[in-house]
Amino acid sequence: MYDATGAVLHRLSRLLALAGGLVLVALIALTATSIAGRGLIAFGLDAVPGDFELVEAGAAFAVFSFMPWCQLNRGHMTVDIFAGLFGRRLNAAIDLASALLLTAVTGLLAWRHMLGMLDRRAYEEVSFILQLPLWWFYAASLAGLVLFVATSLFSVWQAARALPAAFGAAR
Amino acid sequence: MDNLTIGILSFPVLLALIFLRVPIGLAMLTCGIGGMWLVLGRWTPILAQLKQLPYDTFSSYSLSIVPLFLLMGQFATRGGLSTALFRAAESWIGHRKGGVAMAAVGACAGFGAICGSSLATAATMGQVALPELKRCGYSDALATGCLAAGGTLGILIPPSIVLVIYAILAEQNIAKLFVAAFIPGILAALGYMAAIAIYVRLRPGSAGAREPSPMAERWQALVAVWPVLLIFVVVIGGIYAGIFTPTEAAAIGAAGTGLVALANGGLDWQGLKEAILATATSTAMIFLIVLGAAVYNSFLGFSRLPQETAGWVTVQGFSPWAVLALILLCYLVFGCIMDSLSMILLTIPIFFPVVAALDFGIGAEETALWFGIVVLVTVEVGLITPPVGMNLFVVNSMADGAPMQATWRGVLPFVATDLARIVLLTAFPAISLVAVRALF
Repeated sequence: MYDATGAVLHRLSRLLALAGGLVLVALIALTATSIAGRGLIAFGLDAVPGDFELVEAGAAFAVFSFMPWCQLNRGHMTVDIFAGLFGRRLNAAIDLASALLLTAVTGLLAWRHMLGMLDRRAYEEVSFILQLPLWWFYAASLAGLVLFVATSLFSVWQAARALPAAFGAAR
Repeated sequence: MDNLTIGILSFPVLLALIFLRVPIGLAMLTCGIGGMWLVLGRWTPILAQLKQLPYDTFSSYSLSIVPLFLLMGQFATRGGLSTALFRAAESWIGHRKGGVAMAAVGACAGFGAICGSSLATAATMGQVALPELKRCGYSDALATGCLAAGGTLGILIPPSIVLVIYAILAEQNIAKLFVAAFIPGILAALGYMAAIAIYVRLRPGSAGAREPSPMAERWQALVAVWPVLLIFVVVIGGIYAGIFTPTEAAAIGAAGTGLVALANGGLDWQGLKEAILATATSTAMIFLIVLGAAVYNSFLGFSRLPQETAGWVTVQGFSPWAVLALILLCYLVFGCIMDSLSMILLTIPIFFPVVAALDFGIGAEETALWFGIVVLVTVEVGLITPPVGMNLFVVNSMADGAPMQATWRGVLPFVATDLARIVLLTAFPAISLVAVRALF
């Protein structure tokens, strides 16, 4: 059950991260096209309309989508030099507390982001140039946050499973 | 408890969380959210802010430069450009005493011109140069030490992700900061080479000899680095000339290194996936800290701590230089345990108003540019100071069987040149400013 959940989360996070990366690659192509168009104004071409806001929305989607993958790989920056002083039991307890804190904060972020999305939709806010509904961008980014909450919950499970071993070994 | 006290007390709480191995970004988020609640007395303001703050932060146009530069570095790694740079440098200076190590530093500087991250530079050049250093009889200490130090050139020589973050926090022109960083970056490379030259004379056993390369081979190797030069000129020149925004320049740079990687066969579907996943990890790591700092600094703003600190320091009439020295000392000490980006995001909102209020005999804008460069150079020392300098671990893990102690020992001469350079750049602001004055 634990391993299966881990495998599914790993797969989903990887897929989402790759999707975010492909969006980045698309932004690179878009920007290059836009600059080329701007340079060829004399020939009747121009920059891609709304290129800036597409870059902003795409980059936001990419960053949100990268979060779960980074967390699952323990990629977030921590300061480890004092870990050696704490001993095995305390470290296991800290891991659990830290995972719970992460879940609480990511849960809060996802909840507020969803309400933000509903606000954008209720007020029918649109982007500046292309007049695209802003809540679309929020919705795309929500996927990353929801999966981030899921991987955080999984890290709670992971830390809880490690507890008995840490306390048993010390006894 | 008044708001100022809450602001001050948030520091020990934040540090305690960080030392308990809570991810730095998460610790800042927690303290920021909690502190905001204490200062404003209710949850509503922070809850309302969180509806859009994460999206607004992650969709910031100036910050979108970060994933693009990271992807550019990944593509450059896969494009064989690191190998071309090292071959060229080695063929020209490899036969000198300590020359292969110097070539590694030179190649790091070249790679730094198309890569904005220190860890990526150290890792990439380590892969290329470590086997050759070993083959030529260089000691583990010198080989890993010079590459760990050389890696910091990735961030000192523009483009630089840390400078981008500083520019945003201090509301400064990125193009001017990149230009200002150029001469200090070259000085760093020269300083490291000098350190190698002295080192191999004091310890002759630490470096082997290498046959000089024939002239034809040298020119051939030099010609092979043209993509690096072209990409650098287009990216930095384009920003400077105002042809495109820094974010567009990063996209063009990523396109350039991506095309090189594609042409050299380093960017098939598998390679692209690996490049994306590596970019994903570092991007997410940076942006969680950026988001945490955004929330935490907004709380500090409400507590009025930055404004009060700046006011207090001005009223005390301390010597500006003493204040600056104290700030830099803080960075050196904290650099031993924290990463450069977290330090900058945490401290610039407090230190920058302080420094901006002091008079160093140069204008306000020049003070801001110069302070940015000095801070950049100082925080980068943290990447190579034992025991937890990240570059040391990255390079050591790639050198088969090299003991960690050898790397710690080997990097010390480079740390010494770093300290000398900090003093030099602090005492003579003109070194950082002369290029800006000439070009703008």
